[in-house]
Amino acid sequence: MIEPKVILEIFIILGVIWTAGCAVVVARSRRAMPLQQLEGAEARLRVGLLGGLGGVAIALFFLTLHWLPYAKARRAELGSPEVTVTVTAVQWSWILSRHQVPADVAVEFTVTTRDVNHDFAIYDPNGRLLTQVQAMPGYTNRLLYAFHAPGTYTVRCLEYCGLGHHLMTVPLTVTASPK
Amino acid sequence: MASAFAVPPSPPAITPLLAPDRANGAAIRAALAYMVVGLGTFLLLGLLGLLMRLDQGGLIVIPPAWFYRIMTLHGAGMVATILLAALGGLAAAVSATTRLKARVLWIALILHLIGTGFVILTTLVGGFGAGWTVLYPLPSHGDIWPLSAAIAMYVGYLFIALGLLVYCLHMLYALARAHGGLANVLALRYLFSFGRDTRSALPRPPELIAAVISIDGIAAATSGVVYLIPMFAHAAGVTSVNALFAKNAVLLFGHTMANLSIYVTAGLVYAALPTFTGRPWRTTWAVVCAWDLIIILMLANYSHHLYADFAQPLGLQLLAELGSYAVALPSFIVTVVGALTLIYRSAIRWTVAPTLLMLGIWGWVLGGIGAVLDATIPVNQVMHNTMWVPAHFHTYYLLGAVAFAWGYLFYMVRELTADRDARMVRVAAWLYGIGGAGFILMLFVAGGHSVPRRYAVHLPQWQVYARIAVPFVLLLALGLAWFSWDLGTRFRAAWRGTQSAESKP
Repeated sequence: MIEPKVILEIFIILGVIWTAGCAVVVARSRRAMPLQQLEGAEARLRVGLLGGLGGVAIALFFLTLHWLPYAKARRAELGSPEVTVTVTAVQWSWILSRHQVPADVAVEFTVTTRDVNHDFAIYDPNGRLLTQVQAMPGYTNRLLYAFHAPGTYTVRCLEYCGLGHHLMTVPLTVTASPK
Repeated sequence: MASAFAVPPSPPAITPLLAPDRANGAAIRAALAYMVVGLGTFLLLGLLGLLMRLDQGGLIVIPPAWFYRIMTLHGAGMVATILLAALGGLAAAVSATTRLKARVLWIALILHLIGTGFVILTTLVGGFGAGWTVLYPLPSHGDIWPLSAAIAMYVGYLFIALGLLVYCLHMLYALARAHGGLANVLALRYLFSFGRDTRSALPRPPELIAAVISIDGIAAATSGVVYLIPMFAHAAGVTSVNALFAKNAVLLFGHTMANLSIYVTAGLVYAALPTFTGRPWRTTWAVVCAWDLIIILMLANYSHHLYADFAQPLGLQLLAELGSYAVALPSFIVTVVGALTLIYRSAIRWTVAPTLLMLGIWGWVLGGIGAVLDATIPVNQVMHNTMWVPAHFHTYYLLGAVAFAWGYLFYMVRELTADRDARMVRVAAWLYGIGGAGFILMLFVAGGHSVPRRYAVHLPQWQVYARIAVPFVLLLALGLAWFSWDLGTRFRAAWRGTQSAESKP
């Protein structure tokens, strides 16, 4: 899975590059040059950016198709679920059919709600968000996940659901792999 | 492909804000009212934001019920008020060459203010705290706040949507009349002939952008009404609503409203930046293509907020990802690159207004990087509804749209008073930029550490991010106070500058 901190690092790197680009433009803004002399370079830059950024976007799009979080894609990666946990959200608590799941097996969480929208989000023992799915009125969403390390994980609500939203947590214990 | 970047037939000169006969003085006065009300409300709502960060840093304690009421007012108010300021600026920019009826602009403003009044009353007095997204069925569920409070919130949104609708319809009508039809304002013949058909005069970029955002503004307002009608029915006990439909409708409304602000204020950059660089911003084929594409792309990407709603059809999820990538391309390649080209080697004098416009270009792209990362489905799995989300939209609001709007207001006041901006006010722009950058960076860092958004109480290990942000927010506030003082001392002169000689006392 993708690490949130890696995303932060990518953002900072891209942000620094972009800031440096802006600084160059500002630093070179003082001495005048006729705009006509820049138009050719501008057009070439635009074509280059269109090809470059467009190519990156298309590549990223196809790459992400392999990492989709939806049940069909996850089943193809993890196999059929060996453990199922039914999850029902209600203001402001979680009702889980079981609070222990084994590591290294595909676990399916079937998630719904009795009242308003919630978001079933699993945090690892280090406080890192691993995965999430919305709990929606009238729908049952299926989330497949395989835990790789035993420990005490925390389920939090990540969809604002009223005054007790921040209190809506429950521990989930991952035990050693049976394999 | 070469024709895509062909020089248009008649490059327009740099257009002054005030028509020589001051015929657009009344429209500019209405625009000034939009901007002053919008940016003034922004200051007050910003103080609420500071209170929330102080609470999340554990530096003060706000009871959760009040935190969520403040959060709701801050969110709803900011989306509406920044858009109001932006629309005011755009009306001023368009009025330079297109006749706008000041009376209609005032009616739209009054509708907006009535709506804002309902939002303020229902949150601060009525106890409403369901969040600015009013996500069904939370507003009318349970007895945390009275049902009347939810209805008042809906009424407030209805008035704000009506205000937007009146503004956009009038803008479209005025532009179409001035250019002999909507197709001419959108330069469709020029677009589809790849720049060869130049029989119709091309619109100035602010006019083209005004038409584009008016079309999307009408779509946003309509989706707002489509959302609100079943909400009223549900509140009346008549019907229940499909949760997935409701989420799509409210996000199409709210997300587009939020997006409109940045695109409207980008139009202000097209209008103001040439006066500082001495270089006209022409309506090239690339500009036309980019902005006409925005009409569709702005509406296609809202559902990246529904990736975690696994019930949403997969096709829509993938379309949202593609749409989110696609909408970034014309904005960056045409508007941002165009602005930087205008600045590069232009001998620009960095007074407060162009400094803020440049800050806005920087912030817009920075926020866009955060947004595009989050719009990538596997990334969204570990970032959705963490602090990363407010991080990216605060960046392109605070350091993008709002910086553009303040910059444009400084430009307007300078144009209307013929005063040169005081050199020292540039320091305020730097305070604003540094304060804003530190503030949003801590939101991104918190998101990278999985801190949830919309939590009234933060765990001790999360509080450090808000605590570091607070001094930066104070710098930001100092910059804003300086802006307000400087503009406040010159505002009366600017207002008088809009009046024709015979109407002056």
